[in-house]
Amino acid sequence: MVELPVLSLLVLVPFIGAIIVFLLPERRAAAARWIALVFSLLPLLLSIYLYWLFWSVQPATTGYLTSDNLQFQENYAWVPSLGISYSLGVDGISLPLVFLTALLSCLAIVFSWSEKRRPREYFGLMLIMEVGVAGVFMALDFFLFYIFWEVVLIPMYFLIGIWGGPRKDYAAIKFFIYTHVASVVMLLGIMGLYFQCKAVLGYGTFSMLEIAQVSPTLSAGFQYVAFAALFFGFAAKMPSVPFHTWLPDAHVEAPTAGSVLLAGLLLKMGGYGLIRVALPLLPVGAKAAVPVMVVLAVASIVYGAFLCIAQNDLKKMVAYSSISHMGFVMLGAATLSSIGISAAVLQMFTHGLITAVLFMMCGVIHHSAGTREISRIGGLAQKIPVAAAVFLAGSLASLGLPGLASFIGEFLVFYAAFVAFGVWMWVPVTAVALTAAYYLWAAQRVLFGKFKLELPEKEKGHLDDLHVHEAVALGILVGLILLVGLFPSLVLDLTNPVAGALAGLLGGGG
Amino acid sequence: MAATFSEIAQLLADNRHLAPEILLVVFAFIILGASFSTWSRKALGWLAVVPLLVSLFLVAGMMGFFDMGLLGLASFAGPVNVELAGGALSINAYSLIFKFVFLSVALMAVLSSLSFLTEKDRHVGEYYSLILISTVGMMIVASANNLVPLFVGIEIASISTYALAAFRKRDGKSAEAGMKYFIIGATSSAILLYGMSILYGISGTLDIPMLSQRIGESAWEPATIVGLSMLTAGLGFKMAAVPFHMWAPDVYEGSPTPITVLLAAGSKKMAFAAAFKIFIVGLVAAKADFGFAIAVVSVLTMTVGNVTALSQTSVKRMLAYSSIAQTGYILIAVAVGTKTALAGGLLHVVTHAFMKGGAFVAVAAIAYLISSEKLGDYKGLARRAPLLAFCMAAFLLSLAGIPPLAGFWSKFVLFSGAVEAGGWYSWLALAGVLNSALSLYYYARVIKYMYVEEPAEKAPTLRPVPMPYAAALLIAMAAVILIGLYPQPFIDAATTAAGTLLP
Repeated sequence: MVELPVLSLLVLVPFIGAIIVFLLPERRAAAARWIALVFSLLPLLLSIYLYWLFWSVQPATTGYLTSDNLQFQENYAWVPSLGISYSLGVDGISLPLVFLTALLSCLAIVFSWSEKRRPREYFGLMLIMEVGVAGVFMALDFFLFYIFWEVVLIPMYFLIGIWGGPRKDYAAIKFFIYTHVASVVMLLGIMGLYFQCKAVLGYGTFSMLEIAQVSPTLSAGFQYVAFAALFFGFAAKMPSVPFHTWLPDAHVEAPTAGSVLLAGLLLKMGGYGLIRVALPLLPVGAKAAVPVMVVLAVASIVYGAFLCIAQNDLKKMVAYSSISHMGFVMLGAATLSSIGISAAVLQMFTHGLITAVLFMMCGVIHHSAGTREISRIGGLAQKIPVAAAVFLAGSLASLGLPGLASFIGEFLVFYAAFVAFGVWMWVPVTAVALTAAYYLWAAQRVLFGKFKLELPEKEKGHLDDLHVHEAVALGILVGLILLVGLFPSLVLDLTNPVAGALAGLLGGGG
Repeated sequence: MAATFSEIAQLLADNRHLAPEILLVVFAFIILGASFSTWSRKALGWLAVVPLLVSLFLVAGMMGFFDMGLLGLASFAGPVNVELAGGALSINAYSLIFKFVFLSVALMAVLSSLSFLTEKDRHVGEYYSLILISTVGMMIVASANNLVPLFVGIEIASISTYALAAFRKRDGKSAEAGMKYFIIGATSSAILLYGMSILYGISGTLDIPMLSQRIGESAWEPATIVGLSMLTAGLGFKMAAVPFHMWAPDVYEGSPTPITVLLAAGSKKMAFAAAFKIFIVGLVAAKADFGFAIAVVSVLTMTVGNVTALSQTSVKRMLAYSSIAQTGYILIAVAVGTKTALAGGLLHVVTHAFMKGGAFVAVAAIAYLISSEKLGDYKGLARRAPLLAFCMAAFLLSLAGIPPLAGFWSKFVLFSGAVEAGGWYSWLALAGVLNSALSLYYYARVIKYMYVEEPAEKAPTLRPVPMPYAAALLIAMAAVILIGLYPQPFIDAATTAAGTLLP
């Protein structure tokens, strides 16, 4: 039997879908959403199948970035003279993120079901984005990694630029330039790795697996510089303070589904890059950078939380909360320990689910109340009870309520951080209290109390509650948040062995 | 008489690798002759397409892209590596890759001229025949192994293009472009020639490899530095490197757009064909000292080009400044002077020819439809002319170096050459990537106007693009995407070509 190239299909199917959608004739534009749905549902089913296969195989867990460890590998030479290949593979760290990509892309399409403005471009770009993000999480060749990394920029630029809010021009170009600068600096780091490894190996290769065999032994001086270059690329994407200023602009202006993909997937690329590439390949540089990472992570967590309290725009608040929550990912990774890294991946996964809910709710509230200004809305729970309940669920999940998804991740990050860095870690813990404060305060002002909105006469005080397609997308997400909250082992069992192997490489132990 | 015929036949057979050049010259005269008869404007243009296609086919065969033996042309089978005219010309991987570029660019220029020229344009025969002649000049520069054919080639190409730039002499801008180009070009040729004569005086040879040896042996004298500086300045003018770039935007903007294609994508590369040879082969000994100066010029060129391009409102002028920036990138290859860097430089010469040539053709095609080169008039073009806008967007993204398009690979090889050389050369790579990121701003702005903005209210529907424009765009698009997806043969060709200069 010919083995199904599942990973290639995960990239190829949405790509074909995007081409079909782009080529639709004008009068058939209404079919775009159906085609997009089919071509995003297929990868979702594939990724579930992949999950099941992976679970049933329970691959060898010896080593990190080794060919035993990575499953479903596909290797084809692409530019042999430069050592570039098309190679894909997944392990326990990338698999949850691949699933998240397929899930959020599909749900974002479902959620934007009623998009009427230039639907062909809209749905086509969403599919292209899925191609790029899924590719990043599966690429085992640096070059391919970089290409997918850059592919993501273009659809996001258009999603913000065409369907965005009033300051979309500024936000789109800022996003594009900011993250592009970060990626080219990362590319320089990759080039440096390539040539240093070429000197050792005697031949040039961009294969992560081969570079991983050699690069940890490179000189400390080189590792510092290369780590700095890669770290800059990833930190700007995550984003970590002080490289975060593109994020609020991009989020506030982006359309709802764009925000969902931006926060749910694009930010994860930064965290994934850190764990997949920067830490294992340059362990000496990583260890030297631990203090920097901890300081930036704590600063992101605390500063992000303070920024949230000050916001009056609901969406901006959720955007800043992403900075705070991605700080946990960096903190977990900075512990260089098995638990910390595993928790960082879990945190990425759950943050993807939760911010998707919250951004969708921002969209729903904006759509139905006509504004996102917290001070102008009040008592929404009386008018749109279902939406209010979902928003509250998302808020509670985001603030780390036990039993919901993000609690375990945050708790484990703190545990690992206390073990690694000691008692000073009370500083980021305070942010948990701040998070609870800003979410509950916002929920209280928006959902409860007196209904303040001044509505035009003809609406007779009626507000739209969730539409069916919105309810489907949100229902699935809330269900998963609960599921992962109750059974975190669904993710942790995948990540733990791999994280353990990585921690072993880094000498961090347990 | 019979002996004479057989001698001529023998001569032609010995020099058969010059067939592309000979063919172009012959057709240049045929077109001139035909223009006195009743041949139409279009027919003259198609008459120029024929030799270009045949020559392109021969050059690609001689490069070894396909098996000439199978086609019964085994005597042209590649890869060719011969010396002709007593060693003054060499046909090898290096010269062939440049010829490939020049011929492709000339083909795009001629094709886009087919629709660009209108019944108001006179002297169409001269126009096409000058394009062919200037292409021959560029091809001679690529082959030259000796300063004399090098200079003669530069002059043939330059003098033809002076006339072409001023082709629409009743249009003030075109006349100004021609005049400016002529004065600057003539001055720079004089400087170049003077520099060459000084080097000849010092070394006693015009042969470029020999020159290297002699200069390496002799002690450094002030005259050597003066000669080298003049050579740098002369070629710097031709390639529009800062601070010798002032003429380029005016000339590129004022010339008829197909001629801009020829100038920006073709004749500028001629200066690189000469510069790579002279600085990398001829002056290996001087490289250490001159490398730094060229590195400074390179960084200045890319930065000034990009920063000035940011504020342009005419797309054509913006592309002219972006051309200056691209010169800066290619100069990295001269400054670094390693094999990888040179291969990157050569590859960038190839990809830049297609993406910049394609972008200018797109500008011409858009101007044909909406009679404007202003950025503001590009609003909503994606809705009015979707394919054209898509081509333009692809060329611009390729120029910015977004993967997986052609420009990405050449920049990648070029910058990685600088990283590989290490030391302060890495800073050149950093300057290069930051400049690329900066350039993305103005490329993305054009894309924004085309795709994000809605068309103006009463914008009339557009006719489809005429076939010749479509053909020229198709050539450029095919190259940009093909090199993007399957760069291997092109990287190999560039590496082999670099290998002929730097074993």
